Amino acid sequence: MSQAVLRLARQQAFSSLRSPEWRALLAALLVAITLISLLTQLGDRLEQSLNRRTAELLGADLVLRAEEPAVLATQGAIRSSRVAQFPTMIEAGDEMMLVSVRAVTDPYPLRGAIVTEPAQHPDIPEPGTAWAEPRIFEMLQLEPGDTVQLGYSKFRLSHRLMSSPDRGSGFRSFSPGLIMRSDALEATGVIAPGSRVEYRQLFAGPAGAVATLEEQLRENLGPDERLYSLSADQPMTGRALRNAELYLRLSALFALLLGALTITLSLRRYNAAQHSRAALLLSLGLENRQLLLLYGYQLLFGWIICALLGTALGFGLQQLLVQLIGDLLPQPVPQAGIAAMSSGALIGLLLLTTLGLPAFYRLSQVSVVALFRETSLPSNIRSRLIQLLGFGLLAGLMSVYIESLTLALLLLGALTLSGLVVGWLAQALLQRLAEGFRHRMRLGSLLLLRIRQQRKWHRLQAATMTLLLTMLATLIIARGDMLQQWRTQFPPDTPNYFLINIQPWEKEPLDQLFASNDLSPALYPMIRGRISSLNDTPLAEVTLSTEQRRHNALRRELNLTWTEQMPDNNSLLSGSWWQGTPSEPLISVEQDLAAAMGVDIGDRVSFQIGSQLIQAEVSNIRAVQWESFTPNFYVIFSPGALDNLPATYITALRLDGEQRTLARTLLQQFPTLTLIDIDQLLNQAQALIEKLVDSSSMILALTLLAGLLLLVVTLMQELERRRYESALLQTLGATPGQSRQLDLLELLWLGLICGGLAAVASEAILWLISARVLQIPLTLHPLSWLLLPPLSALLFTGIGALIRKPLDQARCYSLLKAN
Amino acid sequence: MDSPKPDQVVVSAHAVSKKFHTQGGELQLFENLNLEVRRGESLAIIGPSGAGKSTLLSMLAGLDQPSTGMIRLAGSNLAELDETARARLRARSVSFVFQSFHLLPELSALDNVRLPLEIRGEADSEQQAQHWLSQVGLASRAEHLPGQLSGGEQQRVAIARAFATRPDILFADEPTGNLDSETGASIVDQLFGLNAQQQTTLILITHDSQLASRCSRRLQLRQGQLLETTA
Ligand SMILES: Nc1ncnc2c1ncn2[C@@H]1O[C@H](COP(=O)(O)OP(=O)(O)O)[C@@H](O)[C@H]1O
Ligand SMILES: [Mg+2]
Repeated sequence: MSQAVLRLARQQAFSSLRSPEWRALLAALLVAITLISLLTQLGDRLEQSLNRRTAELLGADLVLRAEEPAVLATQGAIRSSRVAQFPTMIEAGDEMMLVSVRAVTDPYPLRGAIVTEPAQHPDIPEPGTAWAEPRIFEMLQLEPGDTVQLGYSKFRLSHRLMSSPDRGSGFRSFSPGLIMRSDALEATGVIAPGSRVEYRQLFAGPAGAVATLEEQLRENLGPDERLYSLSADQPMTGRALRNAELYLRLSALFALLLGALTITLSLRRYNAAQHSRAALLLSLGLENRQLLLLYGYQLLFGWIICALLGTALGFGLQQLLVQLIGDLLPQPVPQAGIAAMSSGALIGLLLLTTLGLPAFYRLSQVSVVALFRETSLPSNIRSRLIQLLGFGLLAGLMSVYIESLTLALLLLGALTLSGLVVGWLAQALLQRLAEGFRHRMRLGSLLLLRIRQQRKWHRLQAATMTLLLTMLATLIIARGDMLQQWRTQFPPDTPNYFLINIQPWEKEPLDQLFASNDLSPALYPMIRGRISSLNDTPLAEVTLSTEQRRHNALRRELNLTWTEQMPDNNSLLSGSWWQGTPSEPLISVEQDLAAAMGVDIGDRVSFQIGSQLIQAEVSNIRAVQWESFTPNFYVIFSPGALDNLPATYITALRLDGEQRTLARTLLQQFPTLTLIDIDQLLNQAQALIEKLVDSSSMILALTLLAGLLLLVVTLMQELERRRYESALLQTLGATPGQSRQLDLLELLWLGLICGGLAAVASEAILWLISARVLQIPLTLHPLSWLLLPPLSALLFTGIGALIRKPLDQARCYSLLKAN
Repeated sequence: MDSPKPDQVVVSAHAVSKKFHTQGGELQLFENLNLEVRRGESLAIIGPSGAGKSTLLSMLAGLDQPSTGMIRLAGSNLAELDETARARLRARSVSFVFQSFHLLPELSALDNVRLPLEIRGEADSEQQAQHWLSQVGLASRAEHLPGQLSGGEQQRVAIARAFATRPDILFADEPTGNLDSETGASIVDQLFGLNAQQQTTLILITHDSQLASRCSRRLQLRQGQLLETTA
């Protein structure tokens, strides 16, 4: 018996392909699976690729930094390597210069690659040799093969070091670099107690093993240690990339909702068409229980077709997209994982079950009586419960994307509620409008009649369409906002050179040089110091959560500065900026550090600077734009507080075209200062952002397409249903033109109202997204208020006019006769 | 379960009444209604539209329950069976023919006839279906879809489908209602031909006096009363 059901289901799955309802359901499922599969695969590949890029900058998957050489034994599949990095002077003939030395063990690095000239090089420098960056060769006027003195040892500089990962952090990474073998370090004698050496241990291996190790290391992290990982330490374009990933996630979530909506609507329609069929099957001897099984099997067959096709399509499209945007991602772009590949199909199955189960359960409750007369399907407690279950499952599914079940439930609840409210509101508005026009046009009262009669459909349609338009508007505007944010992140006057190690006596002549070149960059004094106590309690005794303690600035020396004016790119959050030179030292603290230390305005913070202890009162809390390429400081002192301490100065400037020659002049006139060119980094970041924009456009276009499909499907359903009514109107004396006018006018109004409501709703969602997720400032979008209603009206009437086929008199008659 | 002997009562109603609760109050369709139908009989139920003929038919077939009274179908008191048992009983002994044919549009004529046999898991469903199609004179149209058949031909496919399971009782609700009189007449011929051949009990609702006159008994349902009439 169940064999027969299975056979029947298979037969039905294929033979039903002739029925428009089943085809519409399969199309909806196919689009949902394709879109979700595409987005998840793309997201997965993007994430993997970004991780790899970060790994190449870090030189490893995981880096443990400490001030003591600590060697961790590694197990299993994890490879590891050690680096000691320190600043030191090297000599060649009479010339000397400050370099940043990395003493490394073989293999080095673990991820990414070192590029040298000549290109052929061993894994790490041969004994007796070192590799140096081109600036060292230039400054010391050397050629490859020449020798330098480093402490007690001499090294032959065998290769020019063109680029390398793991350059270290902060300004250590900006001094010209030199790589040597770690086993030659001791003989140089430059490492003495008190020298500023940073020890790093690099780790790389399979993702799972690295994650376990990271967890272990994080738990046992000492006070002076810091861990860098792929997940937590993206390069400077990190925020843009994080937002791109969020955008992808948002698109996927919307695609999911869109899919759920389209599938629900097509299921409804399919179900309605199955009503008498199910009753017939019962009359032919099938049992209600088997009916459920039958439709279960049929859905399964339908799903298998769509899963195969959709996954293949998603894969193809995703491959195409990566081809288009991939040249900036590290090549080869890693393939998407199995989980990401199969996600579309699995989610499609879940959607089908969660949405289909309640519908088909109800269908299975049909009775043969339906064949004798019109009956409506019973709706009992059980079917309500199953509906609730479906709702819960959908929320569970959504929570995968937004990583919170409560949020998903809230979102779904809010959607349902707003759907009800919006539907009701739209219908009420529509009726108002029709009442207003009643006596102003010939078909006025007819239209009003129809609008009263089609109340239910209008509510449903308006809710669906407003939701759809809201999602699309949100995606478009969020994308625009994000682009704006990415672009303003690097405005055209972003500095491309850093000048560091400016000595106090060089400040004046440097200012003059800048002034004669029409430049006026701010020079900041820089002094290194460590936070030692809060409100007279030693830092070690202050009760702070581990999360707080982990803050970078509490574990190491900080770069301190003082200024009269608050630097650009900083904004005051609370408190006030000082005027002139206050009598007591005041400080301005960056917001995250303030939160980590738990300090507020009026608290006293002490700093250990060299051998001096300086106490200052918190005068204000600041927000800092860390991505701006300007000197940024956690703590800024008021003028006068640090006057007597030895400081060097730092500045950042923008040099374009002709001005670039100034860089040479600077180095010639001020040989001790260090000039850092960050143009390349900026270009890289900018190019990456452009690519992200391209790919987000494509995703947007695809989602739009899916939305359009939904609109077409629902309008088609409705206009098909209306043919009978139109036929009746026409036999009662209306002209085909009038009946067409009636339809289009109704759609026009509905479109206007949906567009208007969507403009309001999308503004509300955008407000939530920009405040909570993207963390970008809130803006209003008046353009969308102006454009959304007419566009939506155009869409409705346009599609309506395209789909609506005129009825000739003969068709009318046969339609009426058949019914 | 052995099949009922000739003369045996296969469908009976004792003191049956039916009420509906509607918005406009209670609607009493009939009260204290009694009926016995014997094996091999053909019974026509006639009456004005809205009299409750379809409701009565669905109660006799066990698709709907009476408000009071007892109905027996193929030897069982329907009130003592649960929904599944009633469905099994129907599957074993009952077939239906409807006014609007109710063929599955995407299945060929042959597959439509095969469907109930498939559901019962019968092995030679194809040959049997072919046999019944030729019985109604449609052997050559076996592969046609319902859309390619005329109304009369569709109803003949439905009749072949109804007889394919060799039911004890066949219920038909206005089987010629959607057909012109000439086509209707040929359908009626086929229905009665097969009925005689198969010794099926036939209970049908009709407005068609010609069709009614060919039945062995006629009952008129009017204002809740069931009256035997002559032709
Ligand atoms: N489930 C129901 N609820 C309320 N009224 C019903 C229901 N089923 C049938 N009726 C009413 O019972 C009456 C008889 O219907 P029906 O049996 O279809 O009549 P007939 O087949 O004789 O034309 C009609 O007035 C119909 O509206
Ligand atoms: Mg009837």
